[in-house]
Amino acid sequence: MSKNKHTLFSELVKPHLTSLFSTALRMTHHKGDAEDLVQDTLFKAYRALDQFQENTNFRAWIFRIMVNTFITGYRKAVKQPQKISYDDMEEFFLFKRLDENKELQETSKEEFLDTFFDDDIKEALENLPYQFRLVVLLCDVEGFSYNEIASVIDAPLGTVMSRLYRGRKLLQRNLWAYAKTRGYITDVTVARQS
Amino acid sequence: MSRSHASHKKFNCADVEKLAQRYIDNQLDEEEKRLFDEHLEYCLPCDKKIQFEFKLKEIVKSKAREPLSNNYSSEKIKSFLENLH
Repeated sequence: MSKNKHTLFSELVKPHLTSLFSTALRMTHHKGDAEDLVQDTLFKAYRALDQFQENTNFRAWIFRIMVNTFITGYRKAVKQPQKISYDDMEEFFLFKRLDENKELQETSKEEFLDTFFDDDIKEALENLPYQFRLVVLLCDVEGFSYNEIASVIDAPLGTVMSRLYRGRKLLQRNLWAYAKTRGYITDVTVARQS
Repeated sequence: MSRSHASHKKFNCADVEKLAQRYIDNQLDEEEKRLFDEHLEYCLPCDKKIQFEFKLKEIVKSKAREPLSNNYSSEKIKSFLENLH
């Protein structure tokens, strides 16, 4: 019986280990903490496996356990970012900044995105407040639907959408700041008068 | 609400801006998606913005993921999993 449970659990969880670890790392900023968070999650999920209903969404179920584990046990250890202003939360923020930049008039805005290094993207994500970072990771990186995210973070759909909206805008604002300070754009002159 | 009324509806740039996030995430209903696509077909500025958002989402996905294969964390987690009881 015990062996069957173990085999079943391993089969269910193995396809999701990379996703769990990757999300844990972006949430905790630290490899050792990410390993601990995944292990705590596996332990809790294994103990609670009887509560998992077969043929339902195992991935959402185990992510929910990891999110709860993170919030109750790991969040305090994580350095919280400084106060964030929600001004300039306009739609297409980064596109508009690039579009009005004189230096990029002849360049494809999409091509410009290839300028960013992996570490720029990771840093831009890790500098988001954790509630926003979590929904961006779940949606953009892990491909969860809005309904699945609502279930994973135990929040209404409207909360998921507004956090995703804010999270993405803040991410774009971070990337724009990096583009300027790290020299990806050398001339920050605005091309057009609005 | 009638069918003829619905079929004459068109999205403008403000509609597209408002629904952009849900479009990028494939969360619009069939009718909204149809109207959205229809607008993009003739509005190049909106189309460019949407393509940019798609590309950004793709880049975040590809660069933020941390592979878990043949490294210390992978071994540690797999060994933990094997020893659960």
